[in-house]
Amino acid sequence: MNTIFFSLLTLFSLFVFMNLGKVRASKKQTDRSDRINRFGSKQGSANQKSARSTIIEGKAEEINDKGEQ
Amino acid sequence: MSKHSALNTFGRSGNPAFTKNFTNTDTSSLPLAERMTLDGAVNKTAVLLGLCFSGAFLGWNMPILVVPGMLIGFVLALVTIFRSPSKAGATAPFYALFQGMALGGITMFAEMQYPGIGIQAIGLTFGILASLLFCYKSGIIKPTENFKLMIVSATMGIMFLYLISFIMSFFGSGIGFIHSNGLFGIGFSLFVVAIAALNLVLDFDFIEEGAEKGLPKYMEWYGAFSLMVTLVWLYMEILRLLMKLRSR
Repeated sequence: MNTIFFSLLTLFSLFVFMNLGKVRASKKQTDRSDRINRFGSKQGSANQKSARSTIIEGKAEEINDKGEQ
Repeated sequence: MSKHSALNTFGRSGNPAFTKNFTNTDTSSLPLAERMTLDGAVNKTAVLLGLCFSGAFLGWNMPILVVPGMLIGFVLALVTIFRSPSKAGATAPFYALFQGMALGGITMFAEMQYPGIGIQAIGLTFGILASLLFCYKSGIIKPTENFKLMIVSATMGIMFLYLISFIMSFFGSGIGFIHSNGLFGIGFSLFVVAIAALNLVLDFDFIEEGAEKGLPKYMEWYGAFSLMVTLVWLYMEILRLLMKLRSR
């Protein structure tokens, strides 16, 4: 009984590996900003862009002591 | 550069097969047919598993092959890791075959002591492989730099501990709790199994990212080889854990 159970588990797991392994990971996995960047990927440049986008663009305005512009 | 200095110093994965730096891999000029794919990596892993099982059959029937299988497999792993990964297509199949011989013999000895333990260890190893693959693909487990740092540190710590224990064994001493079947020993084995299993997630992520970036075709062999290295380690640790549990 023990042997049959673990043999079936092995076969089922190999079947899952052979089929699921060929499927691309979900967007939840691949579209992340904190992904490991091994190959100097596009993701890295996307991160840089998003970091850059936090800079507020516009005209510089002088602020005086009274807080009037 | 990573913000974690340990990753820069010791490599970017817990798996020693991934300690090479691939950041300068230029794939833009490669034709599609010469790029790494998920299908290719999975098929090559299946080939390596087939060779490993064939080697295990030989090792089971000829236990004298355990030591040569282990030594040659170890040397082949070092050659694959520290030489160019482009040689993985030639070395990985022999690595799988020789490691299979060692595992077959070791399993046979374990079976003599505890009947039925081999199939339990195989079932648990592949069960963990399939369930972690599902967790990775569905995004339940998300490998990040911090995750990687944690696994790298733990893996290196375990390897260092094993190395010290191995050296101490020459002087008739050793680190007792590693091999004991007490609660501490079983707890340590459970921890090592967990770390070995989490290394699989890093392997999946490497293969996924490699296929996404279209790395050269030979990286399919390298990805399959690294998965095999982790699977062999995981199997050995599960076998050791089961032996501790059965000996109580």
